[in-house]
Amino acid sequence: MAAPGKGMAGPAGVNTTSFQKKSRSKLVSIPGTRPSVQNGQLIVSTGVTSLDYVIGGGLAVGTLLLVEEDRYDSYSHMLLKYFLAEGVVCGHEVFLASARDHPDEIMQELPSPIVDDVGSVKTKEGQAQPCDQENQDTMTIAWRYQNQPRVQNALASSVRFGHYYDVSKTMEPEVRQAVKCHSFYALQESPTTTESSLLSSPYHALLQSIRSVIRKEGFDGSTPQSKVRNVLRLGLHSLGSPLWGDDLCCTDNPAHCHSLTTFLYALRGLLRTSLSVAVVTVPSHLMQNKSVMGQIIRLSDTAIALESFRGSEKETNPLYKDYHGLLHVRQVPRLNCLVCEVPDTKDLAFKLKRKQFTIERLHLPPDLSETVSRVSKIELAGGCGTTATGNKHLDF
Amino acid sequence: MLLNIVHGTESGGFIVIEDTVKYSGREILKCFINAALKRGEDVHVMGFETSEAELRAGLDSSCVQKIHFHKGHPDPLGWTCKSSFTVQQFTTRDITRLVQNTPYNKASVLIVDSLSFVLRHHQPVVICQRLQELKKVGVVKTIVGLLHSDLHLQGVVESVCHLANAVISVAPANNEHCGVAKTTRRTKSGKLMQEEEYFDMSEDAALSVQTRPHQPGHVQTEPDKPKADPTSNLTFNLRLSKKEKEAKEKVALPFVFSQEKKSALLRPTPGSGRITYEPDANDDFDEEDPDDDLDV
Repeated sequence: MAAPGKGMAGPAGVNTTSFQKKSRSKLVSIPGTRPSVQNGQLIVSTGVTSLDYVIGGGLAVGTLLLVEEDRYDSYSHMLLKYFLAEGVVCGHEVFLASARDHPDEIMQELPSPIVDDVGSVKTKEGQAQPCDQENQDTMTIAWRYQNQPRVQNALASSVRFGHYYDVSKTMEPEVRQAVKCHSFYALQESPTTTESSLLSSPYHALLQSIRSVIRKEGFDGSTPQSKVRNVLRLGLHSLGSPLWGDDLCCTDNPAHCHSLTTFLYALRGLLRTSLSVAVVTVPSHLMQNKSVMGQIIRLSDTAIALESFRGSEKETNPLYKDYHGLLHVRQVPRLNCLVCEVPDTKDLAFKLKRKQFTIERLHLPPDLSETVSRVSKIELAGGCGTTATGNKHLDF
Repeated sequence: MLLNIVHGTESGGFIVIEDTVKYSGREILKCFINAALKRGEDVHVMGFETSEAELRAGLDSSCVQKIHFHKGHPDPLGWTCKSSFTVQQFTTRDITRLVQNTPYNKASVLIVDSLSFVLRHHQPVVICQRLQELKKVGVVKTIVGLLHSDLHLQGVVESVCHLANAVISVAPANNEHCGVAKTTRRTKSGKLMQEEEYFDMSEDAALSVQTRPHQPGHVQTEPDKPKADPTSNLTFNLRLSKKEKEAKEKVALPFVFSQEKKSALLRPTPGSGRITYEPDANDDFDEEDPDDDLDV
């Protein structure tokens, strides 16, 4: 047998393989990307290492990540900024489109990267600690288990990919200007009559702008090989909101209900034929027609939803007191393979700390207190006509 | 927080006062006008729903002359061509021109009474875009709009509130004469603050805020019941006296090795799954492969 088989991820789900695929292939080596362990696709980091782990190692180049915004757009905005900051640090080109805040304002608020290794300290917690006097006193009976890795709540893979950012500081302008940045501000575009009736005006202009950037900078391979290959990162903020000229959020029967879906379809086609990655945030809580959200999720590759506890009754729930919100993974793509990499648990919660955006498994203990309501079988058998306060026992 | 927003200690933006038919938010609107006048700012009021006299009533008479009232009221759609400002003129260009026509050198406040009227005569998407443009252009520092939430679809109300920097929802308080205001404020950095306050209006449009504790009618969190001690009331003894505890510590555990042997065992070995097997007397260990004579 020539080549050994790929190391399978352990039953715990943590990516403990240290297997390095020996690639003599012609895979392009672009800074900031690496081939995925699962299916060999070229992947980039989203800027948040826990999110990379949840979606299967990272974002594959040529795919679209959909983020459903939380109610007040605080954490999804943060994710978009992490994505763009990662692009700046890796040296990729950046394209930012927004309708509410000017793209330059968003670029000025990018978090600054942490130069010293905060992350490496965290990943070493799970590995064997050196035996010393203090450690051996911790366990008297089960001392053989001292050096076993503790069960980690935080999701992280063994291989470091991606950077960490300090949210309290903004990125230096010199670092930011080292990278080429294209922007599109929807309010500055004058409404033009579009030839296609499918796409409404701002989306059409945005699509044209993206297409021209890809073609001009040669991300689709149209320029000769002499130029160094690079990846284009697209960040599109709050598509579908009324500021984009779309009334999906205002009514149940929007006039151009297929405008956003057509745009996403065309965008994904552009992404697949070029070396680019896109992150799109959508205010799904404003969408009145729920079936549209399903269509939008199907049209993107990876889809996650953020649900923040701020302003809802879950804020006072003691189970959630350590976290800022829940993260739901709606869809994970199957790219050139039969099986997709799904996180082992769907109960994920996130917390935005100053130096890290962590996503952890939320362990909900079973509610064993006496006051928990247990539906008794007698009440259920009352039939559909009885009310809660009425007679439970039918007398004939 | 309501008082802070009304008195403008936080920088402007777009503020929405959301009311229903049960409790009107026009009083709070008057408070905004009053506070802005006291700060010496230019106030432009667009009245589509109430007359000028009604809005001027109760305001501080010394500064009431400084309000620039754009009379839409008796004829907001311009049917009789008598009003100076129709609802069709609610565009960025027209409003900017209006504000710049009046001599100003201070920050101006735009009061829209009411935003609901404007939303009914224009498309909500267009109004959202115009409001955002007005915010960005910077001619007007603060925009305060009154929105009747029961007049519109939920999507429209939510979309407009999503654009706002602060949303004040008023409702009648349960048994009191005052009202309850739920304020949600979003800062530029994305931080969110929420507060619920009881407020009261006086004759001269002054706002007084009381924060009341929860009404007794609401469900309260139960105090933790003292947990029952499981080791009491048993027929056998589950507790240890001090001497028994010391004796327990002194028991020699099996597999307690000396320090060197422990560290030797704990050192990470290259292969963690090594099987060492010594065949005993009954094992017949034949080196030959039984399949060798297969003719396949």
